[in-house]
Amino acid sequence: MHPAISVICFTLFSGAGYGLISFLCLDDMFDLNFTLSGSGRVWLVGVALVLITVGLLASTLHLANPRNAWRAFFRFRTSWLSREGVFAVLLYPVALFWLLTLWSSDAGGSKILAALTFCLAIATLFSTGMIYACLKTIRQWNTALTPTNYILLGFMLGSLILVASGAGNVTIAVGMVGAAALGKLIYYYWIGQPAGPTINSALGFTRATVRLLDVGHGEGNFLTDEFGYEVAKAKLIWLRVISIVFGFLMPVALLLIFGASAGIPAMVSGFSGVFVERWLFFAEARHVVNLYHGSQST
Amino acid sequence: MKLGLVIDLDTCVGCHACAVACKQWNTSGTSGPLSDYDPYGSKPSGVWFNRIRHYEVDDYPNNKTINAPMSCMHCEDAACVTVCPTGASYKRPEDGIVLIDQDKCMGCNYCSWACPYGARELDQESGTMKKCTLCVDRIYDENLPESERQPVCVLTCPSHARFFGDFDDPDSEVSKQVRQRSGYSMMPEQGYNPTNKYLPPRQQPAVETHKPRQVSREEHAAEDKPMAQIQRWIAQQLKRQA
Amino acid sequence: MSSQLPEFEDHSAQTVKTTTCYMCACRCGIKVTLEGEKIRFIQGNPDHPINKGVLCAKGNAGIMKQMSPAKLTQPLIRKKGAERGSGEFEPISWEDAIELLTDRLRHIRATDPKKLAYFTGRDQMQALTGFWASQFGTINWSAHGGFCSVNMAAGGLYMIGQSFWEFGDPDWEHAKYFMMWGVAEDHASNPIKIGIEKLKRRGAKFVSINPVRTGYQAVADEWIGIKPGTDGLLALSFAHVLLKNDLFDKDFLLRYTNSPQLVICAPGEANDGLLLRADAADENSETQVWSLKSQSIQPWSDIDCEPALFGEYQTADGVTVKTAMTLLAERYLKEEYAPHNIAPQIGVDAETIERLALEMAHVAFRETIEIDTPWTDWAGREHKSFVGRPVAMHAMRGVSAHSNGFQTCRAIHLVQVLLGAIDCPGGHLAKPPFPRHLPPPIKPARDMAPNTPLSGPPLGFPTAPEDLAIDANGEPLRIDKAYSWEAPIANHGLMHMVIKNAVNEDPYAIDTLMLFMANMAWNSSMNTAETQGMLCQKGEDGEYKIPFIVTCDAFNSEMVQYSDLVLPDTTYLERFDTISLLDRPISEPHFACDSIRQPILTPDRDVRPWQEVMLDVGARLGFPALVTDDGKPKYKGYQDFIINWEKSPGIGFLAGYRGEHGEKSLVGEPNQNQWQDYIDNGCFFEYEIPAHQRYYRFANKDYLQWAKSVGFNAHDGPIVMELYSETLQKFRLAGQGLYDGPQPKSEADKQRLVDYFDPMPFWYLPLEQQRVSETEYPFFAVNQRPMFMYHSWDSQNAWLRQIMSQNYLYMNRQRGESLGFADLQWVWVESHNGKIKVQLKLMEGVNSDTVWTWNAIAKQRGAWGLGADAPESSKGFLMNHLIAETLPSDDPTENKSNSDPVTGQAAWYDLRVKISHAEVTDAEVAQQSMPQFDTLKPLPGQEPSASVLRYSAGKQVNLKRSFKDTIMRGFK
Ligand SMILES: Nc1nc2c(c(=O)[nH]1)N[C@H]1C(S)=C(S)[C@@H](COP(=O)(O)OP(=O)(O)OC[C@H]3O[C@@H](n4cnc5c(=O)[nH]c(N)nc54)[C@H](O)[C@@H]3O)O[C@H]1N2
Ligand SMILES: Nc1nc2c(c(=O)[nH]1)N[C@H]1C(S)=C(S)[C@@H](COP(=O)(O)OP(=O)(O)OC[C@H]3O[C@@H](n4cnc5c(=O)[nH]c(N)nc54)[C@H](O)[C@@H]3O)O[C@H]1N2
Ligand code: SF4
Ligand code: SF4
Ligand code: SF4
Ligand code: SF4
Ligand code: SF4
Ligand SMILES: [Mo]
Repeated sequence: MHPAISVICFTLFSGAGYGLISFLCLDDMFDLNFTLSGSGRVWLVGVALVLITVGLLASTLHLANPRNAWRAFFRFRTSWLSREGVFAVLLYPVALFWLLTLWSSDAGGSKILAALTFCLAIATLFSTGMIYACLKTIRQWNTALTPTNYILLGFMLGSLILVASGAGNVTIAVGMVGAAALGKLIYYYWIGQPAGPTINSALGFTRATVRLLDVGHGEGNFLTDEFGYEVAKAKLIWLRVISIVFGFLMPVALLLIFGASAGIPAMVSGFSGVFVERWLFFAEARHVVNLYHGSQST
Repeated sequence: MKLGLVIDLDTCVGCHACAVACKQWNTSGTSGPLSDYDPYGSKPSGVWFNRIRHYEVDDYPNNKTINAPMSCMHCEDAACVTVCPTGASYKRPEDGIVLIDQDKCMGCNYCSWACPYGARELDQESGTMKKCTLCVDRIYDENLPESERQPVCVLTCPSHARFFGDFDDPDSEVSKQVRQRSGYSMMPEQGYNPTNKYLPPRQQPAVETHKPRQVSREEHAAEDKPMAQIQRWIAQQLKRQA
Repeated sequence: MSSQLPEFEDHSAQTVKTTTCYMCACRCGIKVTLEGEKIRFIQGNPDHPINKGVLCAKGNAGIMKQMSPAKLTQPLIRKKGAERGSGEFEPISWEDAIELLTDRLRHIRATDPKKLAYFTGRDQMQALTGFWASQFGTINWSAHGGFCSVNMAAGGLYMIGQSFWEFGDPDWEHAKYFMMWGVAEDHASNPIKIGIEKLKRRGAKFVSINPVRTGYQAVADEWIGIKPGTDGLLALSFAHVLLKNDLFDKDFLLRYTNSPQLVICAPGEANDGLLLRADAADENSETQVWSLKSQSIQPWSDIDCEPALFGEYQTADGVTVKTAMTLLAERYLKEEYAPHNIAPQIGVDAETIERLALEMAHVAFRETIEIDTPWTDWAGREHKSFVGRPVAMHAMRGVSAHSNGFQTCRAIHLVQVLLGAIDCPGGHLAKPPFPRHLPPPIKPARDMAPNTPLSGPPLGFPTAPEDLAIDANGEPLRIDKAYSWEAPIANHGLMHMVIKNAVNEDPYAIDTLMLFMANMAWNSSMNTAETQGMLCQKGEDGEYKIPFIVTCDAFNSEMVQYSDLVLPDTTYLERFDTISLLDRPISEPHFACDSIRQPILTPDRDVRPWQEVMLDVGARLGFPALVTDDGKPKYKGYQDFIINWEKSPGIGFLAGYRGEHGEKSLVGEPNQNQWQDYIDNGCFFEYEIPAHQRYYRFANKDYLQWAKSVGFNAHDGPIVMELYSETLQKFRLAGQGLYDGPQPKSEADKQRLVDYFDPMPFWYLPLEQQRVSETEYPFFAVNQRPMFMYHSWDSQNAWLRQIMSQNYLYMNRQRGESLGFADLQWVWVESHNGKIKVQLKLMEGVNSDTVWTWNAIAKQRGAWGLGADAPESSKGFLMNHLIAETLPSDDPTENKSNSDPVTGQAAWYDLRVKISHAEVTDAEVAQQSMPQFDTLKPLPGQEPSASVLRYSAGKQVNLKRSFKDTIMRGFK
């Protein structure tokens, strides 16, 4: 799949924002005292909302006809994209009310609003994951690991932001990074297994080798641009290493060695690693339409 | 009603007539124009609803060439429709045609991701997704002669490799073809239940060979075989004469 | 439910007109729907005899041809002082252009008319351009047939009175077995597709013989991936198997062919190999047979004499004679034609060859069909039905584009005749005006005089050396050397030799070269780069070797750039045209048909139909047929000319709606309302042949009488198929120095006649391959027509070029891998004539000794309205660079054309090449084909091409989904 920067930014920033806000909600709900002070907490909720908003705005850049973006809430019944939109939008008033209660009282906000915000953040993250996971056409996405990883990566980034802001808990952050890394490794193992349709079943000729002779259009078109994205194997491996090193190994190492004082570099490293991971999530996804363009399998 | 196409891979010669006819009709049709980018430059490309691809099955010299036209399959379980957040994509309950309301689409590409068959293409100029309409703007047009209320790809196909009709009607041409010729769906494991079906190449018809003549031993031994044979014919024509 | 739908089309704003497609030469009927001034839709006309409603990819892309940025907009003249080919033009008014041209032509016509060479390419009005040339008085005219498929036309017309190509069709309705030789697309583009589908649906078997498996070959039940140029051997091996197994139609041979006729066997004598005739001194007297009844020699026409098919006999004066069939059998029964002996050469295994022959025999003789219609043959014998041998064949350029194509075509016809499968139900059917007598009784024109029309058409059908267009010294009279010793039966001329001969002044210099619809500076020339050089070549006097080049084209083709005067034509949607029975007919086997075009759109440019220009120029030059006695133009214009000009009384360009009120067909007085009558009938005319005249027309009395009455044939005698060609034997005798008439002087000419003018079909290695080392050049190289592009025309088409804008060289995958080649790598391809760099693709479906590409995709930079970086020019390539118009030779003075030695047919597919890895260092150049050419300059008035197209004829009516449905609907 063609990795669109707008979509990568969306999942990266919004993901981090939802992860962050989720921690803040939990903090409020269960008085975990991640944050130093009420104002710090308010400030962090603000950061989370900004991240979410930046991400959502980035995602609209992806639309070829944004004038109709408002219609995206209408197919809640069947579309994860619609659901994500609805949850994302619903979160704002709830989160703002919660923020209001947080801001107005030093002791903490409305636990109910915090719980609601938390649920909406999780639902949005889950929906985002499901946008990809529900597509049978892309084997590398069509798995429960996709929403799981979305949530884990969001939480991981959220926890790193917390640590970087001088709050949070290094142990939790290291745990989150570990969990996300584990999820990702399982994912990589899983997509490495051969499976899914082949050029034979795509065309219905299952008893002999099938090869593409001519694709029927001389230069590229929408389908090849959108789905035909291909990265050299060596480059993929190299990028995986980068994403694992920067996304997981480095933050863990920094936090374990330098503790909370390495929060900022750990966060920056985490973000850049996950950026590459997001990019790979698209670049490594092989849409079945490629079978018609000559791929033997996906 | 369940309207759709049957495509006969046994007679499709891969001429691209259906694809260009589709382009021609639809560029002025209900979801037109179908934009073309860089039409005279280095990367000519554009929006098409129907594309013809060519494959080879098996190795030389047992190879067989297959021409595969593909357009929207008007799937019964069309995820392209369910994933669409705006509702621009929909499947008409009355006839099963999958359409995109051009006034509602926000151009998110999501439905094209959900389509296994590459049937949806974004028009960069209008910013909307486009696809085969099953020529909905022809098949119901009562101002056209009955015989022309057909998709243009079907009307134009020089090797009559395309059939249009109602799969819910067991007596329709499409239903019959699928029954008689073991029509199949492409990539059924995706679970989309495509309405369009493909007819596989038929088995090679068996033609008997005339039994080779048994050559007599003398004839075989003859120095000049042609002459021996000709002498035989001369003898025969004289016998016939007698 | 439909009531809920919006009204998509504004039918009240639409009009529908019929006309004839010209996106290729197939001539399908179309219905054009206009919305205001814009084309809404071009569709097939369901009533039309050719395409029956269907349309190919090109036909469907007519809108984009009309939108082409390459359309010429105004007459142009090369700027004074600018070099030819430099692209420096300035506009000139039509009046000035026509004056200029007329002045020049007037001088030529008054002094030496042959100094005008007028050649036309993929033209559909050869009857008119030929008429014009003969009125002008130059024999230097021909259309593209000589580089196209004259081998098929001549092969058939000299043997069966019809042919493959456009003069005959497989009987799609009844054939049970269909064998296709070397056809990728052909002129009958849609009819073949319609036909193949019919055959297959009926369960008939389709065998394809072709080194490449694409297109039609894809749907063949059996693919025979033969080595190029060897089809003649395969056909003759089929003949061997049929003869050996006694599987041939003796009655058919006896009745309808010259195989029982007696051939004189007198080696070394002047009459050796000629047919025995009633009067030896009269070559038109009747041929003779051996009567088994009377045991004596009798005239062939004595139908009751029971002629012998086989045997050697003596005449009263002691001359040995054999039946032609005996000679044929003696040859083809030889072991050299046995399947196991030819198998390695053709690359098909022996069992397959034998099986195919036996399958055909089975279908012909055991699955015979009968149509219960009584008919009478020429001799008055009554037949209660038409017996059909349902084996049909079709062959085209895979056969014709070789220098052994004429004899190969004859070999294929031989197999058809042995099976009795000519013009019978299920066999190969003639299309009216065919069949014609062998050959049609028109001789090539020869005598020219100033200001005098030719006595007949420039092209014709020689039957003996006397008919050649040579002077007293035996030197060619025509600039292309057609009908010379080099190409005696060049029925369609040798267009591919015109430029080279003119530049070499061999046989003489010309003054003006006038080209219509021929892209001779690019894809229709052999040796393209050199041809461009020749077009610009100057003599020692500083004058161009070809002093003046006039081109009539509709588009900015490469040829336009090499012209001095450019006359812009209309497009096919903007003019009147006739597709005449006097030309290459559009008839179907059971219908005599012709058709017209009518303007659908008004040109928005300063262009004129070439027909109008020709008639205008002709009248200004005072052509007798075009002016009245007082020198005034006789006709008001093209339409008037078509209505009122008569070839002979009652016969004109259009056969339909003749007679005062349009009540007569084929023959009748001019009808002033004829054009409108055609338009009212959908722009075509068809005359249905009655049931009892539909088959065996070569011998069908009623048909023959009718064909004479409507002017198709000169007499109503039987058309006797000539398995043994006395015409060829006469030329051979001339080569042997035995002929009582003109004889060639040069040894090479003599040898050529001896070697190739065999009266019976035979196979030989194509000429170029005789001179090129097979080990040095291990691959055959051929090309194919893409179904969605017509020669050079369609790269300007925004829709069609999206399908293909670059061609590749295709090679067998296993062979390629064994040589270390990879898909998409760049390679050098080298022939004896040149070297090109191309991109390779590996595939399964190609004979492992063959490489091939799509024809005419490549373009010169800047031509055809394309950007300079278009893949057509940067990555595409022409095979033409590798093909020489003359045969390779150690002797630099030898200038023998790379053509079939009998017909002069250009031998495009005899090419052999070697292929090597392209070592390239510069990455940019690495991705380019070679050679690369200069970028052509834009023409004056040429608008820059659009960067985005959003064509639409009207306003779109969107089919809306209701808001309620959007909100409420669940998963289904
Ligand atoms: N779409 C389209 N239609 C056209 C044209 C066009 O440009 N485009 N051009 C028109 C013109 S001018 C012509 S002349 C006709 C030509 O029409 P075709 O006769 O179809 O000509 P080609 O495309 O040259 O195809 C020749 C075929 O013969 C095969 N072949 C080559 N060498 C041999 C051989 O030695 N033996 C055998 N058995 N096969 C061989 C090639 O693989 C190819 O499939 O098409 C006409 N129709
Ligand atoms: N390598 C190789 N070369 C080949 C062949 C091959 O098989 N291989 N095939 C050969 C054969 S069979 C043929 S017939 C020739 C074809 O040779 P040509 O007939 O010369 O080639 P075309 O490219 O068809 O185009 C002729 C010109 O007609 C012009 N034209 C198109 N429409 C109109 C119109 O309406 N009016 C006017 N006035 N002009 C118009 C086009 O712009 C173009 O410049 O090519 C030959 N060349
Ligand atoms: S083919 Fe694709 S676009 Fe058409 S209905 Fe099926 S999934 Fe949707
Ligand atoms: S591109 Fe348009 S039709 Fe497709 S999912 Fe998005 S809004 Fe729906
Ligand atoms: S049914 Fe109509 S829209 Fe669909 S592919 Fe055919 S021509 Fe195109
Ligand atoms: S028009 Fe018919 S034969 Fe041609 S590609 Fe389409 S389906 Fe195949
Ligand atoms: S075959 Fe195609 S291009 Fe040629 S005349 Fe027919 S429709 Fe037109
Ligand atoms: Mo041709």
